[in-house]
Amino acid sequence: MGTRRRLVPYYLLSPGGVYLLIFFLIPLGLMVYTSLQSGGLLSGGFTFSWEFQNYADVLGSYQTQFIRSIVYSLIVTFVALLLSYPMTYWIAFYGGRWKSSLLLLLLMPFFVSFVIRTIQWKFILGDNGPVLGLLKTIGLLPEGFGVLSTPFAVVAGITYNYLPFTALPLYVALERIDKRLVEAAKDLYSSRWQAFRKVVWPLSLPGVFAAFLLTFVPATGDYVNASLLGGPGTTMIGNIIQDKFLTENAYPQAAALSVILMVAMVILATIYARILGTEEATRAAAAA
Amino acid sequence: MSQRDRSFDPMQEIMRRRFTRRSVLRGTGMGVAGISLGSLLAACGSDSGTGGGGSGSGGFDVAEIYTGEPGGSLAFANWPFYIDQAKDESGSVYNPSLAMFEEQAGITVDYEDVINSNEEFFGRLRPVLEAGDDTGWDIIVITNGRIFTALTVNDWVYPLDTSRRPNFDANAATWAKDPAYDPGNTHGMPWQSGLTGIGVNTEMVNGEITKLDDLANPDKVGLGMVGMLKYDMADFVMINLGIDPVTSTPDDWREAADWLLYQKDQGVVRNYYGNDYLDELKNENLSASMAWSGDVIYSQLWLQYPMEFVFPEDGALLWIDNMLIPAGAQNPVGAMQLMDFFYEPEVATMVTEWVQYMSPVPATQDLMLQDADAAEAEGDKGLANKLRASAESPYLYPSEEFLAKTSFGRSLETDEEVQEWDSIFLPISQT
Repeated sequence: MGTRRRLVPYYLLSPGGVYLLIFFLIPLGLMVYTSLQSGGLLSGGFTFSWEFQNYADVLGSYQTQFIRSIVYSLIVTFVALLLSYPMTYWIAFYGGRWKSSLLLLLLMPFFVSFVIRTIQWKFILGDNGPVLGLLKTIGLLPEGFGVLSTPFAVVAGITYNYLPFTALPLYVALERIDKRLVEAAKDLYSSRWQAFRKVVWPLSLPGVFAAFLLTFVPATGDYVNASLLGGPGTTMIGNIIQDKFLTENAYPQAAALSVILMVAMVILATIYARILGTEEATRAAAAA
Repeated sequence: MSQRDRSFDPMQEIMRRRFTRRSVLRGTGMGVAGISLGSLLAACGSDSGTGGGGSGSGGFDVAEIYTGEPGGSLAFANWPFYIDQAKDESGSVYNPSLAMFEEQAGITVDYEDVINSNEEFFGRLRPVLEAGDDTGWDIIVITNGRIFTALTVNDWVYPLDTSRRPNFDANAATWAKDPAYDPGNTHGMPWQSGLTGIGVNTEMVNGEITKLDDLANPDKVGLGMVGMLKYDMADFVMINLGIDPVTSTPDDWREAADWLLYQKDQGVVRNYYGNDYLDELKNENLSASMAWSGDVIYSQLWLQYPMEFVFPEDGALLWIDNMLIPAGAQNPVGAMQLMDFFYEPEVATMVTEWVQYMSPVPATQDLMLQDADAAEAEGDKGLANKLRASAESPYLYPSEEFLAKTSFGRSLETDEEVQEWDSIFLPISQT
């Protein structure tokens, strides 16, 4: 009886656990396994041979793209936070009965395929498209001006595509804040700014943390925006991995790149959690 | 089927506008996760099979593969918008040539346009082929190049029964027979073929674009307005530098890479495209681009874009898309029958009038002119003119002189060659 009871949580955990095992852990293991293979398509396929050289090779060849991806992604995350915070703050505090409708609007782009949405930007931002074409006709922009194929287009595209990933966790965190705490702060003669800095901001930090992770991690691996909106000099690590897997059939190198990217993300997220670790940060802010 | 079924339908123009054979967006986004997982599983499985089925032992017995009656159905994988289409009375789209085959042969064809890139499609089939299983397809269409080589050296496609293709023997063009990459057409029969040359938006360039160097001249093409095709550019540049890619050495490859780097330094390149350059050319984001003949010719002749296909002074790259029978296919006899059926001149004409690429059946040219006359007699002058322009296009029916200036791309035979090639050319597009 007692044993059974103690086992209940594990039973409840098992569907999710099995799912993770099949669709996450096994593929992950296979990826690491593949990354240590050598060989080629024309000479009998790939064999496992503890080929650590794969890691050295890809790191040597693609560090530019690694660094570029992380830099782009940091800019994206920062801009997305900057854009989302005031917006979700307003919805959470002043949205009233429009809250759900406003959230739906925020999610609206998600109802359209990621790729289609991005392709639309190609038309909108075309050198002679509806925006630039018009500005050029009325003489506000020089003839040769273009946005597509620049880092700006790529960063803007990723920001646009991941904005809801930033906004939703922020909204959840802000929405949970007890409004009476803000009133209490004001009763205690804090200014609006002080009330925000000492009450709202610290309480929303878990949301900021979640938003950061949900945006930064996938944005670093993104390849759709760079391939559709970018040009020479904007290739991201996701594009390299895609090319290696799908066009060069260099599976070990592709897997090695993926492992490196994953490890790098875990390390960066850990450092970030240490610096801005949610609980410590909340406590520290509250004490200040 | 009456002749009328072949008539062009406005629907086709609308559909072609956005999707042409190669300019369909490759599976960006969707399905990639699935593919990479598949590849992983495959890569894993390869361990046990090393040396087993591979290393080109060619252990197939043609007589054994092609025995008995054809099966009742067969599955055909092809590229999008690469076969004739029409609408039946109820308004649904069908393929007249295939319908004709089904009626004549009594074989049901499951035709699907699932191939958007050789590499990606191959990535999906490879695990299955490696495991020695049936891919589900009886015919696939693959371009000459490294995927074609990988399929043949690993015995992942069946050799063809050369006694079962009377139409091919009688009607195939000289260039379609016995190509360097597939001596004796023992593995593949050309479906369609085309040239990689230069596509020009005539409203966006200064002066005439006639040669490769014009693609590196900002005065002619403008800054950041040139598209390059990353999988074709190495061979294309070599040809135009006077090097025959087929016999090229790594030193020649470096020479081509130097030109590409020089071009990049001029600041003219907008992007290195896989296959989605055509819309950019139409939308005036590109002034000139490396381009596939059929794409540009269709846009120019049939859709009236201010575009032009340029065969560069020093030569162009010739490629051939081949029909292959994957190993383990269920209906190789039926597949052989269908492949040969498309070498009947009337059938080949139905396809060519629609796809505007180089047909491996030269007799289609006269038949197309006859159709033009017939259209004119019926008062459809527009259609007649378009058919005539296509039939007279030197890019659909290149002269010997033209063909002499084309070459196939380098076919990379070993993994070492592939690695060296990639290490020279990939850094140019992957920056």
